[in-house]
This record gives sequence, C-alpha cells and structure tokens, in this order.
Amino acid sequence: MSGPTRAGEPGSIRFTFDGKPLVARPGDTLAAALLANGIGLVARSFKYHRPRGIMAAGVEEPNALVTVGTGGRSEPNTRATDLFVYDGMVARSQNRWPNLSFDVGSLLGLAAKALPAGFYYKTFFGSAKRWMFYEWFIRRAAGLGDAPTAADPDRFAQRAGFCDVLVVGVGPAGLAAALAAAEAGDRVMLVEQDRLLAPSLVRDLQDLDPAWAEATAAQISALGGRILLRTTAIGYWDDNLITLSQRLAEPGEQPPSGTAQRLWHVRAKRVVLATGALERPLAFAHNDRPGVMLSQAVRTYVRRFGVVPGQRVIIATNNDDAYLTAAAMRDAGAEIVAILDTRPAPAGATSGFPVYNHTMPLATKGARHHLREVSARVDGKIVRWQADLLAMSGGFTPVVHLHMQAGGAALDWDEASQSFLPGGARQNVTSIGSAASADPAGPTPPPENPGKAFIDFQNDVSLGDVDLAWAEGYRSVEHLKRYTTLGMATDQGKTSNMAALGRLAEKQDVAIPEAGLTTFRPPYTPVTMGLLAGRSERDAGAHLRRLALYDVHQAKAPIWQPLGYWKRPRAYPKGEESLAQAALREALSVRTAVGMTDVSTLAKFEVSGTDAAALLELICATTVAKLAVGRGRYTFMLREDGLVFDDGTVWRLADDRYLLTSSTGGADRMAAHISYVRQVLYPHFRVSAVNVQEHYAGIAVAGPKAKNVLTALIGEEVPRHMSTVPATIAGTPVLVLAASYSGERAFEIYVAASEAEPVWRACEAEVTAHGGCLYGMEAMEFLRIEKGHLVVGGEIDGRLTPHELALGGMLNKAGGYIGAAGLTRPALTQPARKQLVGLEALEGTIPEGAMLVSTQGQPAEGHVTASGLRLLDGGSIALGQLNGGFARLGEEMLATSPTRGQSARVRVVAPHFYDTSGERYRD
Amino acid sequence: MTDLSITQLPAAPLNALEIWSNPLDVLGRFEKAFGRSLPPSGSSLQLPDRLLIRYEPTVWLVEGEIGGLAEILDADGSLTAIGGGLVRVRLSGPGWRSLLMEGGVFDAESRDFIAGCSAATVIDHVNVRLLVESEDACLSYVPLSYAHDMIQFWTVAAQSLE
Repeated sequence: MSGPTRAGEPGSIRFTFDGKPLVARPGDTLAAALLANGIGLVARSFKYHRPRGIMAAGVEEPNALVTVGTGGRSEPNTRATDLFVYDGMVARSQNRWPNLSFDVGSLLGLAAKALPAGFYYKTFFGSAKRWMFYEWFIRRAAGLGDAPTAADPDRFAQRAGFCDVLVVGVGPAGLAAALAAAEAGDRVMLVEQDRLLAPSLVRDLQDLDPAWAEATAAQISALGGRILLRTTAIGYWDDNLITLSQRLAEPGEQPPSGTAQRLWHVRAKRVVLATGALERPLAFAHNDRPGVMLSQAVRTYVRRFGVVPGQRVIIATNNDDAYLTAAAMRDAGAEIVAILDTRPAPAGATSGFPVYNHTMPLATKGARHHLREVSARVDGKIVRWQADLLAMSGGFTPVVHLHMQAGGAALDWDEASQSFLPGGARQNVTSIGSAASADPAGPTPPPENPGKAFIDFQNDVSLGDVDLAWAEGYRSVEHLKRYTTLGMATDQGKTSNMAALGRLAEKQDVAIPEAGLTTFRPPYTPVTMGLLAGRSERDAGAHLRRLALYDVHQAKAPIWQPLGYWKRPRAYPKGEESLAQAALREALSVRTAVGMTDVSTLAKFEVSGTDAAALLELICATTVAKLAVGRGRYTFMLREDGLVFDDGTVWRLADDRYLLTSSTGGADRMAAHISYVRQVLYPHFRVSAVNVQEHYAGIAVAGPKAKNVLTALIGEEVPRHMSTVPATIAGTPVLVLAASYSGERAFEIYVAASEAEPVWRACEAEVTAHGGCLYGMEAMEFLRIEKGHLVVGGEIDGRLTPHELALGGMLNKAGGYIGAAGLTRPALTQPARKQLVGLEALEGTIPEGAMLVSTQGQPAEGHVTASGLRLLDGGSIALGQLNGGFARLGEEMLATSPTRGQSARVRVVAPHFYDTSGERYRD
Repeated sequence: MTDLSITQLPAAPLNALEIWSNPLDVLGRFEKAFGRSLPPSGSSLQLPDRLLIRYEPTVWLVEGEIGGLAEILDADGSLTAIGGGLVRVRLSGPGWRSLLMEGGVFDAESRDFIAGCSAATVIDHVNVRLLVESEDACLSYVPLSYAHDMIQFWTVAAQSLE
C-alpha cells in the first residue's frame, strides 16, 4: 500500500504546504495537489484535534480546512477542495501545535469521554470573571484558523445583475435549461461555483461529454447569456433576489485587476436550481481517519485530477453509485479489496467485484495518521481487510438550501433515497436534475460503537453525542443542534444533518420528516467579511462629501474635520501651530480685523411661486411674509410636537422667490420635512421648493473690517445687516447676504459652486489686504459660543421649545406654523424643563459635555452643550441646558465629566457673552 | 480592462423646471412653442439649443437655453438654477453599461435602456441621473460633492470589469 499517488508529469505550479515546497498541475485543487504529492494528513479536528484528511471533492468538505495566503490576504478555514492552486501559493494547516503530525492538542482526544457534547455547559460556569479565565484556555485548545490582523490590500466589488432566468449550477441539467431559456429569447445567467463547466461529465463517463458542455456554453454565450464560473449563489432573498459570491482570484492570491471578489445582487424573473446533490458519509467507528473518503470524491480525484487516492480499496455503500467508483479505481490500477453493501443485493451488476451484502464497516484502524485496516461483521464474524482507502457512500441528499431560503413551503420526504426533495415554492423557482431527485439508497444500520462514529466531522460530533443529548432531555432538533454544535461552523452540516436527523427520529420513534429540520440560512458557503463590506477605500462605507473649493483649501494644508457627511477645514495652522493655537489666532482675527470661511455646506432651498411665503410660514415658526424684498431674518423650525429641530435664515429675493438656509447637519432632514409639507400636507400649493445646497458655494466674511472688504469687492452697495443684494465679484454673479454667526458685522457670499474659485480668491486677496485670514470650524465654534448663537445638534437637540431656547419672542404670533399646536401642550410649559443658559467658569476650564450638578454625587440637572472661551478677555465659558435654568442665573454649580475626569465650578449666567446689544452688527 | 473612458465635462447651465398647476395647459404651451412634448418619465427631449430630461414627477432638468420657458410656465411653475451643484460625467466605450452595474441597483444592461432614455438611481450610495446618449456613451449627472469620489470609484471599478 502506498496511499495517494499520481502517475506522470508532477506539474509546474509551485506552492508550499506547512512550509514544504510542492508542485501541482494546472487545474488542481489544493486537495488534489496534496493527494498527488502523497499527503493524506491535512488538518486537525476542531475539538479533539483528531487527524483528518480529505473527505470530499467540493464545498461540502468538513475536514480539510487550511489557511492560505500571507499578511492581509491570509484567509483561514478555506476548504482545500474549493481552492485552486496557483504559483507561489502558501497554505498552512491550522489548529495544531507544534506541527500537524505531532499535535499536543490531540491529548484532548484521550480525554474525549470527559469532553462530550455540551461539556462546557456543565464545566465552565460561575461568575463572568471566571468565564473570562476559562475562555482563554478554550480559545487556545479548540478552534479553527486565525483571522488575519493586517488590512486586506485588495478591493471587493459589489454589482447588480438582472435577468429573466438565473440558473444555479452548470451541470448537464443546468446547461440544458439555460440553453432552452436563451433560445426562447430570455436574458440568461448561469453561475457555477467550480472552475469547470459540468464537472460531473469529467467524473462520470456518460452519453454527454465535456465537449458537449463547452459547445452548449458557447451557444448560450452567443445568444447573450452570461456564464460566471467560480461564483456561488450564497443566498436567496425576497422577490427573487439572489446574492452571488464571485471569486476573481483564489483565496490568498493577488488579484490581477486589484479586485479579489465581487458580490452580485441579482434580480431574476425565474430561478432554476440545478445545484446537484451531496453524498452522505456512513457512520461507523473511526470513520474520520485520513484515507476514508466519499465515494464520488474518489472518482473525481481519479478522473478529473489523475490522482489515485489509494491502492487497496474498500467500498462501503448503500447504493449503486459507489460501484462506479469501484470501476474507476480498478481502471486506475487499484485493487478493489471488498465492496461492503448494506443492501441484501445490489440493484445492478457487480462487475465481478467481491461484494458483501448486509455488511457495513465496523471500524477502521490506522498507522501514521493513515488508514491501514477496515473491519466488518460478515455472517456474524469480524473480518479485517488491509486497505489504504475506504470509499463510502451513504446515499445522496439534494442541495435544497436555496430552495428553502426562497421560502420553500416544505420539503418532501423521499423514502427510496432517504432524502428530502424540494417541495412547493413560494417564489418563481424550480429545482431540476439531481437537486430535485435522488437515486435510491438502502438502509444505513446503526454502528456498534456510536461514540466514535462521527457524523459532524467538523465539530467532532458523533452519534454518541446525539444519544447523550437525547438522554439529557434535548428533544427538539434545534436544541440538539445547539447543545452538540452539530451542523454549525463552516460546512453548516452539509454532510451531517441527515445522519443526525435519522438518529433523532429513531430516538423519537418517528419518521425522519417528523423529527423536524433546522433552518437553511445564507450563506450557502462561507464568505469573507470583505465581500460583504465592499470596497475598502473609505471608512464606514459612506463617501465623505467634498467642498466645491476642496482643492483650494487643501493647498492651505488645513486640519480637516469630518462633519456630518462633509469634510471641512477645522483650522489653518501656520508653521508649528497646534489646532488650539491656530483656531485662537483665527478667531481673534475675526474679532479684531476680518476673517473668511467656507460655509458652502449649509442647507439651502430656493422657494418660488405664488404660495412661496405661505409654505415658508408653515415651515418657519417666525414671520416670513412681511419681509420686504431684499431683506432677511433669522428663523427656526419646529416639528409637529412643537420642539425646535433646526434654524437658519430666510431671505426674500423677489416678490415670489425666497432663499431659506438651515443647518449643515440637518440638511437632509430639512429637505424631507419641506417635501413632506409641500407634497403631503399642501399638495395644492403653487410653489416650487428646490434644494440648492450643492448649487451654491458660500463664503462668509466676518469682522470689523468685513464691510471694508465687501466695499472693495462690490463697491458701495454693501447691504446692511439682514439685507441682501445681487453683485458681481471677479466677474462672477453672486448674491451677498448680510448675516452673522460670529457676533461681528459679516456677509455670506453665495455663488454657483462651479464658479466659486475666482470669487474665493478675490475675497481672500481682499481679506489678506485688510490684515485678515482664513478661519475654520474651530474658530467659528469659539465665535458663536461667545455670541450665544445656537448650533443644531448642540443646543438645538430636538428636545427644547422655542421658549426654552429663548426664542419665544420671535414666534409668529399669528400661529399657523408646523408645531404651533404641539406647543400648546401643558407638558411643554413646565418651568422645571431644561432651558438654555450660559456658564462661566469660576476656575479652570469647563469640560464640554459635562453634567451640571449642584455638588459632586448629586443627580445631573443639565449638561454643557458647548464649551469655549472669552476671546478678548480670557476665561472659560460655555452654553448648556439646565432644569429651570432661566430662574437660576447667578447660581453656582459643578460641571463634571466623570468619563474625562474633569470638573469645574461654574456660575449660571445669560447665554450671551459678547456684544449683547448687537452694536457690532451696525455700521 | 474594458475599453471605457470616464470624462468630466465642463459645467453647463442646468435648471430645474417645475410645474405645480395646470400641467396640461403647460404641456400644450410647450408643444406649441417647440413642436414637441415635454418628455415623459424615463425619457428626454433633445432640442437644438437645449436638452430636457424628466427629473422628478413634476420637475424637468433643462440643460442649455431656458429662453421662452418662463413664458410657457407663466404662473403654473418656475425655473430654478441648479447647475452649480451638478457635475456631468460622460462614460463612453462599450463597457459603460457594465460599469453602471457596479455598486448600482439599476438595470443599465436592459435592452430597453437605449439612446434618449434617462434614469434616476443610486450608485455606490450616491444619487445620480443617467442619460443614454448613444449605444457607446452615457451621461451621468453627479452631485458636485460626490463627483470626485464617484469618478474615482468608476475609474477603479473599470479596471476589473468583465
């Protein structure tokens, strides 16, 4: 006996396994290449570290999990049977120490009787702290591969797909169905997880051959059909949405295009499932030993890869298909030592093989981690055969996962094949070929030693574990699954569930369908997190919006700040300035000379039409209609519950045309609100409300010299405070609004964003000439806090009424605005509700976000919404919300932030620290 | 890489034309003035000096001249300039349909999405408008703040198209 071998040319593709240089042929899976190199021991099992080899030839493989690739491309728990070898591939076994052959963890196997199913529920209990201690050991003793710690350097794409017919599985049935659909004029997609069209035609010599598959695929392509190989249908969702996982490179391989995988979202009018069937293993003692394989897998390695997995072969079966394996092995030069058939007699010809009916393997023995002997009870006596390969077939289970994910009404039990077949479908999906029917299979007698008869190879769950769970009272299949871990992990029970169901039904004394089924959840095969997350070039999956003047700012090397969806300059440091130093310099420049900043991100809506004023008087809680053309005012907006949710300014540009501005962060919410009022509440209004947030770039110029700057830019027609004029700067039409958020005389210049750069440069030149500078968000925050201007998300947090924000005097006395009714609720007039206050520090710096308490340890009575400083006089100041704050001016409190470990004594004051009479707005 | 070019076009005058009342009267006045109907949903109308695309249920995007439109609208609608906030990006070459499927949810590969058709959709979380110019080119209108990222997304995605 020599174990697995391959005759002829060894191949030219170089790869390593556990550091050992090996070669493979083009088209080899890693499993085929390892067998071709005489390697049968590939992995260690999850729990007992039992030596494991290769059992299958497809995605159902439970044993041969490896880690492939290096660095960020390292991918653990990859099935060696679903991984095509490429030049330079680095593969490693996992869950072993110090090496695969001698694994210290295998000592756990000696204690297997003490570590049955659910042992940790009985062993590791107590306080959470003790569990943390246990967990350290458990995670090291049991497990799969290690997740990579480096970032994945590759791109992961997502794509939509639409078709009339999606065929899953490019076997003979799938190809025929796809061709028929394509010939009928349908848009057709075919997906196949393998690299090969119709691999079963290579495995089994039939009337059709691989050339037929190639020709059929070419016909389908010529008719416009799309064929995706290395693509797995991983999930089936509502409305015939199917997700596909397409590999553009093998795991661990550097993708030629930079994109490793693509997630498809396919909408199909009709889905055809030609997903085939999976072969079931047989349960007998030590059936997990390297050298024990599924029968069809053996045939695949022989016919497709030219690998002969063993020389002395035992076939164990309950069906006729395994006889094809016997023939294939004989053709390959191996000796068929015995065929153990559980049936009274095979249905077909035995081709002269030594067949033992009513016989099932009893146990196996091994040497040096490989199969050496198979025993069986024949006519009451134990017979032992020397063998290096045991090919087993316990029948076939149609792959019904996608059918069930599609909401399959039920599965039909087929007694002849001992398998479930697709039943009624709730979506437009049909199953065909061996996904819809299975060949007859005979009985599978229970093993004599269930404790070592594994059914879930990946989780080391034996029939004995199922028996134990039953004995301990676990009756439901769902409980059985969770107690034993059966059907979990990367193979999701593809080869194990039927055996477990059979055992459970036997215990319950019911037929298998009555024992129940667990849920067929997506994904069908494991997918990488990268595939789901999508491309990697940005954080958190969302774009950061760029200012129209981004490049102009970037040239000044600002400190950027993500703000909402936007990226905005926080400050423009000079030399070695820190953020705080730069912001203070910029703010002082505004207080003493002039500064300019980019306010393009403000929400802006152009409202026009006969009913423009009427619409705005619904949206704004202040008066609007009385504004003269060319005038503007501060305004704020309420929700229907009467609470303030945004603020801004409104400007009358013409008789029936207004410009409404509101906060950056609330822009989308405001757009939705306006749309709701316009489209739902008042659809009869003769008005257009257009979102022009992106259309206009905005430049704010503020400071005692701001008027001088504007005069230099537009001449003598500088508007007075809260007035607006159209003008021209740098030959570009602009709209100048005289409004201030800084406490200084200030202007906002709006210009079509596509033409903003020359206007910005002209403004910057004048600002510089007047001794000013650019300022960013940090300086803006200092300025507005000192002046007592509100910010949405800070003081305006959707919980306070206009009165509580000291805005009650500005409410439209005629009412009629959205929220007017809500404001009349008695609960909103309770004097103990939170109210806007100012805070000044008695010592130290007021921590932002701090709680306001009377003394340490007392309940919070409010909080600090924003913390700043007196720019010219020094001293820490803040804005905050305080219970009954208006009546508490002069009261001393403690602003404390336990999370930051900071506290400051503060005095409650009015929320205005600078130019309380507004003198500086006037010329 | 598929033969495909991604080109940012110069800014163009773009206006939103909204009809809020008497739509049939407005349509009649438009047809009288231009000899053609305002385009229906999913469609566009190319006139010698302007292009009109149905943009929203009551809004059309007007690219180019707006002369005469205020008179047609009269008191039943209005025009608002929006061109500063939209970037026009032309995708040309045989792979444009495939490219638009990347990160998208719209069937740009549909046999019915032909020259003159328009669509509003989301691509890689960004709202874009599409206009099929020919079998070899599609124009997209991308919000200015997303245009840089969108062009970068398309440039990278184009490298791994089928």
